[in-house]
Amino acid sequence: MSENAFLTVTDLRAGYGGARVLHGVSLAVGQGEICAILGPNGAGKTTLLRALSGMVRVRGDVRLDGADLSGRSPDTIARQGVAHVPEGRGTFMPLTVEENLRLGAFVRRDRRSLRGLRDLRGRRGGSAVDADLERVHTYFPVLKTRLKQVAGSLSGGEQQMLAIGRALMLRPRLLLLDEPSLGLAPMVTQELFRIVRAVNEEERTTVVVVEQNAHLALSIAQQAHVLESGRIVLSGSAEQIRADEQVAQSYLGYRV
Amino acid sequence: MAGFLQEIVEGLGAGAIYASLALALVLIYQFTGIVNFAQGELAMFSAYIAWQFMAAGLPFWLALVLTLAVSFVGGMLIERVVIRPVEGAPELTVVIVTVGLFIFVNAAAGWIWSFLIKDFPNPFPGGAIEAGGLSLGYSTLGIMAVVGVVMGLLYLLFQHTKVGLGMRAVASNPSSARLVGIRVGWTLALGWGLAATVGAVSGILVAPLLFLEPNMMGGVLIYAFAAATLGGFDSPVGAVVGGLVVGVAETLAGAYVGFIGSDLKVGVPLVIILFILLLRPQGLFGRAAVERA
Repeated sequence: MSENAFLTVTDLRAGYGGARVLHGVSLAVGQGEICAILGPNGAGKTTLLRALSGMVRVRGDVRLDGADLSGRSPDTIARQGVAHVPEGRGTFMPLTVEENLRLGAFVRRDRRSLRGLRDLRGRRGGSAVDADLERVHTYFPVLKTRLKQVAGSLSGGEQQMLAIGRALMLRPRLLLLDEPSLGLAPMVTQELFRIVRAVNEEERTTVVVVEQNAHLALSIAQQAHVLESGRIVLSGSAEQIRADEQVAQSYLGYRV
Repeated sequence: MAGFLQEIVEGLGAGAIYASLALALVLIYQFTGIVNFAQGELAMFSAYIAWQFMAAGLPFWLALVLTLAVSFVGGMLIERVVIRPVEGAPELTVVIVTVGLFIFVNAAAGWIWSFLIKDFPNPFPGGAIEAGGLSLGYSTLGIMAVVGVVMGLLYLLFQHTKVGLGMRAVASNPSSARLVGIRVGWTLALGWGLAATVGAVSGILVAPLLFLEPNMMGGVLIYAFAAATLGGFDSPVGAVVGGLVVGVAETLAGAYVGFIGSDLKVGVPLVIILFILLLRPQGLFGRAAVERA
């Protein structure tokens, strides 16, 4: 795995101001894999994702398909095909659902379709971005019925779908998901994970998902890492992690 | 009755000017949450730049275009150099910085061009259209047309261009905008450049009416604040409607409320600000954020 890994993180250190949060994290994710990051609150899971997408300053090495991402700005990293669905979903509340989705494709060089909703001559459709809009609708049909609605008026579950849909508009090579289940009903969460799995299978998108709901995350991941106090304390395949007694006690809520 | 309508027309003319400066205020507020107290002074400085170009022999319209360009770049530079270091600082810090900018720009204009008033040519002809007992000055009509065009261009920019969509994204959620790949720093600078350009239009509209001098925008700024407060600091449309309402209210109060007259009418915008803040703090068109948890 590690020789030809798609994403390799080596000795990653990151923090806020003087407070170091990550103390040398190393991991590797193969192309097309789903990797789950588990761990208690405050372990540094969110910071790890923020470090990968350039939202916090890092030391160490981050490589995506060989290209060095460490120390790059978020917009450069987005241009490399990394889509980060942040904690709290990052919705552009006063904008419409369609505008939110189109913003996901902001860095793609498909100019005409990005001129707002239609270009000045009123032409519509036909571009790659419009095709991707359709593609997002097939994953999230509910968004299609809400295109002209202000995003702030969506329910929590719909906003999470919008956030993932926005990320897909980038046609990402790497998708970073931060706590997609947060604040959602179990049914909605299961649906979301089913869709993430479908995206991963159909488009071979590599996914790193941070999740409190370890059970659910392990159900779609091939491999997992347990983060504690800014260090990886346990790594393995999803089955191994699920079978681990200590993890079971701490995060899955039952004994094996 | 004709007299009353005439007052309204005059009020709309004055209001269009307040609206133009209020637009500049609202642009910056939307992107950065900063109330730029120096907006009027920047507009005044732009008017001086236009004057300088004309003093060098350039025709008005060429001077105008050059001034708008210089103002745009100047606005971006100010964001990069003066505002950027206090980005994210407490509001009071930012307010003090913009007040400092106010004083600096005012003094710089006085130092460069002296505090003596200068004549500024009016781009519009002097006459008026007489219609139904009303007299519509070309100048008033011209000002309203210019403000209308500026609004229309801003609307096209924000609603129908990629840059505009990016700017609205930054205004609504900067960190998320960063994640979709927008260069937020440059977008904020762009917002300041745009505001300075709109402000320059305002300054150039005001200068022929009030004579050009470093303190010329002081009063206008207060009216613009009233307009932006009335319309809602986050609504460009509100700023324009607010400007027109303030202009009309001021003119009517001056003409018909005996004790106000022309001396006290400066107080009208302050009364408007006070009542709006009490009754509807987000302004007429402002959003009380639509959000579901």
